[in-house]
Amino acid sequence: MAANLQQQRSINSQLRREVGIERMPVSEACSLMMKYMLEHEEEDCLLSGFTQKVNPFREKSSCSIL
Amino acid sequence: MSESAVPASNASGNASEKMASLVREAENLKGKLEEERQKLNDVNLANIAERLEQIAYVNIKPRKVLKGHQAKVLCTDWSPDKRHIISSSQDGRLIIWDAFTTNKEHAVTMPTTWIMACAYAPSGNFVACGGLDNKVTVYPITSDEEMAAKKRTVGTHTSYMSCCIYPNSDQQILTGSGDSTCALWDVESGQLLQSFHGHSGDVMAIDLAPNETGNTFVSGSCDRMAFIWDMRSGHVVQSFEGHQSDVNSVKFHPCGDAIATGSDDSSCRLYDMRADREVAVFAKESIIFGVNSVDFSVSGRLLFAGYNDYTVNLWDTLKSERVCLLYGHENKVSCVQVSPDGTALSTGSWDYTIRVWA
Repeated sequence: MAANLQQQRSINSQLRREVGIERMPVSEACSLMMKYMLEHEEEDCLLSGFTQKVNPFREKSSCSIL
Repeated sequence: MSESAVPASNASGNASEKMASLVREAENLKGKLEEERQKLNDVNLANIAERLEQIAYVNIKPRKVLKGHQAKVLCTDWSPDKRHIISSSQDGRLIIWDAFTTNKEHAVTMPTTWIMACAYAPSGNFVACGGLDNKVTVYPITSDEEMAAKKRTVGTHTSYMSCCIYPNSDQQILTGSGDSTCALWDVESGQLLQSFHGHSGDVMAIDLAPNETGNTFVSGSCDRMAFIWDMRSGHVVQSFEGHQSDVNSVKFHPCGDAIATGSDDSSCRLYDMRADREVAVFAKESIIFGVNSVDFSVSGRLLFAGYNDYTVNLWDTLKSERVCLLYGHENKVSCVQVSPDGTALSTGSWDYTIRVWA
């Protein structure tokens, strides 16, 4: 019982802390997240492909100029 | 009734009253929390991203197949050198691969099966691993003989270790366990620096916040919750619910202000920490199998998810739409991870192989 009480007390204090945190409107938070993604689009090879650098995992072409 | 029994029964009466009042308070607090979160819930992410173009085409192809494990691949981790991969398996072996050439550079057999977690140290010179042995063990990456001889047990849980990660340096390891706790260990002394109690089910996954001083991490658990923790205080800072089943995977968005989760309920979800709530759900009626692992591309626009139906789904994080599927594995996909520079995706499977896509 004592252990359960202790556990419940810590759950309650966690909930109290959580209720008290500052929040941002979802629209604002999402706009910021979207901005981050768009700003980093070009360095994202899996999304935008290898425009700047060579894909290190691509098999070398079997033809080469000797 | 004996006289001595009276105070005892009173005491227990008081305790149950206290308990009941605490439970009532908790219910009130939960209601208040939901109310506060709802106040600022003006739109969702997909609404915000409505005017954006869809991702038309993603050129990701299977590039390498790493074969060598004799049982299910349970975990993989990219080396900081962006070239090597460590994998751990049900067969009790750790293998270090050169992902460019597919060569096995090291193989170590552990005195346990089901090595459920493995992680490179930031220096790339050590790996931490463990699983059904309940322990986190560190190996230096040298010759195979020396690796086995110089291994060191850093910490022990009271149940299996499901996940591990180096938070800041080679000196500390953070672990998650089936004993429903997370723990921070000092590598040198093996001392428990902080333990993290709060989950009421097995901890399945942890991830570190990318943009802070390494003091925040997230955990996902079979209690269907994801918790954000303050590593210094050991306290839960935020808790996120919504999943209908075990949370198998958690990952920070590269922006550092959101987390993605993957669950047995066959959905992935995105929670924004600043808004303190769920902002997107990634699910389709046709997807009925559980998600084992999730990761983001470097911009965070793509969310990769490995499923029990042998596929990897690519989701557009912003629009909550599926972009495409990666087929290739012949059994459950247990782990997915984008390489540190974002050039490739590794996937591990119960089909004994690891594949590299780029």
